[in-house]
Amino acid sequence: MRDVKDTRSTRAKINLGLTYAVMIFFTVMAIYPLLWLAMNSFKTTTEFQLNKLGIPRDWVLVNYKDAWVRGKFPILILNSIIYTGITTVATLIFSFMAGFAFAKIPNKATKYIHGSFVIGLLLTLQSIMVPLFLIINWVGLYNSRLGVLIPYIGIAMPMGIYLGTEYIKAIPTALVESARIDGATYMKIFISIIVPMAAPVGVTVAILTVTGTWNEFMLINILTSSDALKSLPVGVQKFAGALSSDFGKQFAALMIGLIPMLLFYMFFRKEITKGVAAGAVKG
Amino acid sequence: MPKAHTLADAKREQRRAYWTLVLPGFLVYISVMAFPTIFSIFLSLSDYSGGKLFGGKPVHLVGFKWYQNLFADEYFYLALKNNMWIVLVSVFGQIPLGFFLAYVLYRGIVKFADFFQTMIYLPTVISTVVIGILWKSFFAPYGAFPELVRLFNPQYEYGISNHPMLPVLFVILWMYTGMYLIIFIANLQKIDSAVIEAARIDGATEGQTLRYIILPALSGVLVTTAILAISGSLKSFDLIFVMTAGGPANRTSVLSIYMFDKAFKGAPRYPLANAISTVMVIISFVLIGLTKWAESKFGGRE
Amino acid sequence: MTGLKKISVLALALLMVVTSVFAQGTREDASASGKVELTVLNYIDMSEPNSANEIKMVWDKFEEENPDIKLVREDLFNEPFHQKTEAYVASGQLPDVLYMWPSGRSTSLHTTHSVKDLMPFLEKDGLVDDYNPATIAPQFAGYLAELPNGITTTHMLYVNAKVLRENGFDIPKSYDEMKAMVKPLKAKGIDLIAMDNMDAWVMQSCLFSMVVGRYGGVDWYDQLSSGKIDFTDDWFVKSLALIDDMYRSGMINRNSLSSPYGSSRGSFASGKAAFYIDGDWSTASFQTDITTGKALISPESQQKDFELMVIPNLPGEVIKNSNSGVVGTGWGMSANIPAGSAKEAAAWRLIKYLQGEYVQTYRLTTGASFPSNLKVDVEKVVEERNLEPFIAKRAAYYAAYTPITPVIDGVLHSDVYNVINTGLQEIGLGDKSPTQVASEVQKAWDSWKKNQ
Repeated sequence: MRDVKDTRSTRAKINLGLTYAVMIFFTVMAIYPLLWLAMNSFKTTTEFQLNKLGIPRDWVLVNYKDAWVRGKFPILILNSIIYTGITTVATLIFSFMAGFAFAKIPNKATKYIHGSFVIGLLLTLQSIMVPLFLIINWVGLYNSRLGVLIPYIGIAMPMGIYLGTEYIKAIPTALVESARIDGATYMKIFISIIVPMAAPVGVTVAILTVTGTWNEFMLINILTSSDALKSLPVGVQKFAGALSSDFGKQFAALMIGLIPMLLFYMFFRKEITKGVAAGAVKG
Repeated sequence: MPKAHTLADAKREQRRAYWTLVLPGFLVYISVMAFPTIFSIFLSLSDYSGGKLFGGKPVHLVGFKWYQNLFADEYFYLALKNNMWIVLVSVFGQIPLGFFLAYVLYRGIVKFADFFQTMIYLPTVISTVVIGILWKSFFAPYGAFPELVRLFNPQYEYGISNHPMLPVLFVILWMYTGMYLIIFIANLQKIDSAVIEAARIDGATEGQTLRYIILPALSGVLVTTAILAISGSLKSFDLIFVMTAGGPANRTSVLSIYMFDKAFKGAPRYPLANAISTVMVIISFVLIGLTKWAESKFGGRE
Repeated sequence: MTGLKKISVLALALLMVVTSVFAQGTREDASASGKVELTVLNYIDMSEPNSANEIKMVWDKFEEENPDIKLVREDLFNEPFHQKTEAYVASGQLPDVLYMWPSGRSTSLHTTHSVKDLMPFLEKDGLVDDYNPATIAPQFAGYLAELPNGITTTHMLYVNAKVLRENGFDIPKSYDEMKAMVKPLKAKGIDLIAMDNMDAWVMQSCLFSMVVGRYGGVDWYDQLSSGKIDFTDDWFVKSLALIDDMYRSGMINRNSLSSPYGSSRGSFASGKAAFYIDGDWSTASFQTDITTGKALISPESQQKDFELMVIPNLPGEVIKNSNSGVVGTGWGMSANIPAGSAKEAAAWRLIKYLQGEYVQTYRLTTGASFPSNLKVDVEKVVEERNLEPFIAKRAAYYAAYTPITPVIDGVLHSDVYNVINTGLQEIGLGDKSPTQVASEVQKAWDSWKKNQ
């Protein structure tokens, strides 16, 4: 009897050990490439050629300084924050408004309008890039902040509408109806009942919009021409996209591209993990 | 302030409120998504060949000529196949792996669950551009990967395998598994832990609990994640574009890259490019329809 | 809802930043100050040695000297540059002055006639004789669409002579000699040829075009377009077979197909490969960065340990020592600028400046390009400014390797050369045979010709 128990507990221990090994393996897999990048951003190009895997012999900061200045990163980061921030706020407002209408105000048009948004979930950005460029030029918004923001909001909206509508549908209709009977306008109901109650899915939509918008690099390159209007990923791709001339500087540029989202993740870790999950549960 | 609400008044107010709420977003959406899409379908049936669209060369409708060209091109099928590989890796790689990791963390089998979760999810939040360039240089013949392998096997020679897609698929797996991990954890946490404990006390093994309690409770989520994986992989562009741009010889091309090449490389073929994007939307519809059908046929309800 | 609170604080902070930015962000009106505003699309790799200096020495100087012109410059590089060009062409709304290729990736600028013919401008200013006649020959659409930097030879064999010496080899005199080096070098962990074949154009432009010239003769393109020869004939199949042989014998590693363009330069410089194949333009990336004083290959070592040449005698070639070349990239002017306008005059002044003596001399000293402007006396500049050895060696290389045969993407339409590019990579993967690729190219050529 004792023997059996012993083997069982050793086996359990081995299993536990294995499980730990697997978890540690995946964790190392996940962060090793990032650590590798971080390490190499402190090497000179010459050292990188000779020492691709190890720790830098001399830690040099000059890569960062050079990349920061030559890549014009300060303005690019500021632009990214502006685009991402405004897009996110606008997407939240618009999609909650529409989501509320779709979910709680009966109208024959809902089927079609909501349906058209859902189709938008399947569209790829690349397919509308050329027509979009023609249109933005045509209305004279080429190379302006607004000319970037409007497409960004439009692109983020299908997801916002989809999640927002689903979530607001789950809010008891009785709440809305009793408020109506008390004489509240729809606007008032929206602000005082719907917005507070839909806050959790708001976090989800916000996070998806932030990551999506922040990472976008194709459209903005097409829609703007001056460096003062471009965003961080464009700068990173321009500076380090063809890794060839000066690895040290280019790795530093990649780090500069990586750090803002890293900070965002560290700051909002809880909300992000919760938000992404909430977003995917509905369907 | 008592208001005499007639039915007609209420209806009118309702309608007005509806449109006030819907229109701002809908107009933006129409102008930047819906209209360009319709426009692109129109282009796919025309002979537009670049240059000024308004006031340039006149554009004629040519029917389904570009679609015929598309279905006759071997590289279209290559791209389609690669898309399917990505779907497979998502559905049979990311989802099971994400589930496994989530399960281990949820059942409290290991300590520091929070730490593991944070680290494994990390790649998902980083800019695709950074990820793409990072891995491109990592997998280059003079990059770190061959040297890394040589640490363990000095004889190793880095050859391009018959599957140039492998590194790409690996990076996709690396990047997005964390997302599924988090989705599964959140949904596992919704399961009443008392039920599981009761089952364990009744002598059910870990495997049995998984089979009879946990998996059925998650069937809805599994379908959702599958849909997410399918639509996500059909839209995948950024990462591959930065990492390989479809090369070598289009062996890592996917439909969106294939389309991009037609529109932006060499002499533009906008009609063909737009035909490809129309086909892509149709494929997503079909695949998602299939998944929904499978759900209603075999799956439980959420 | 701490998450909501955090987000609203962030949103508020954002709003403040944004309003302040928008407040300053109103655009200066150039016309009000009497200046002509020129939009310029520039091609520059900001991470390359001397790029920061180039902005100062070339662009800032122009604005200093021409206070009546305001430049609004868009600096792009690599893929983002080409995407942007295509988008511009598609919309028919071009920047006033733009960097472009004489063909190849800029095909659509040419075929849509989006840029002006610059010959009348040269003639009007009496500048025709200032330029090397070969550089101002008509381009893809039959006219001078861009004023080129010079002639570019697209194939250059960079030799690490030190590696050869250390392994008991001389500078090779034939292809077969090179081939014989593969095994002994590999035994020491050294690759024979470093080449970055991930981007499909590299093989076609930097090696294959030269090979086609060797087997097809100087006039292969004329013969082809007059229908006297086909792609399925010996000259082309042989050329493909040579590339196939290079992959099979390990002269070029198949894994170079996953090597991003330019990424093996460092490895070559540090002796991990005996040869490196690229275009002549890449000499610049080995030279010293003026701002940091660092170089991939130091000037002493450039002199002592490195040589610039072409692949010597191929088995069965019909011409010897030839190289492939095309007029270089340069500057074009948007066709949308009204003729005779102040803007046109300003744009021409800029192009003249960019291809004038001052800028071309500067670009010679950084190794960026070899001048098309005959006023730049290369020998004198090299001597007077004590330039790095690669520049002198490059001048000698131009003199040594003639005749110059066409570059494939310089003469063929993208519908045809894209098939060649892909085919070359498929040969590299071992997926298709030379004859297979040749017949596919012929098919593309036939269908392109039919549509003309």
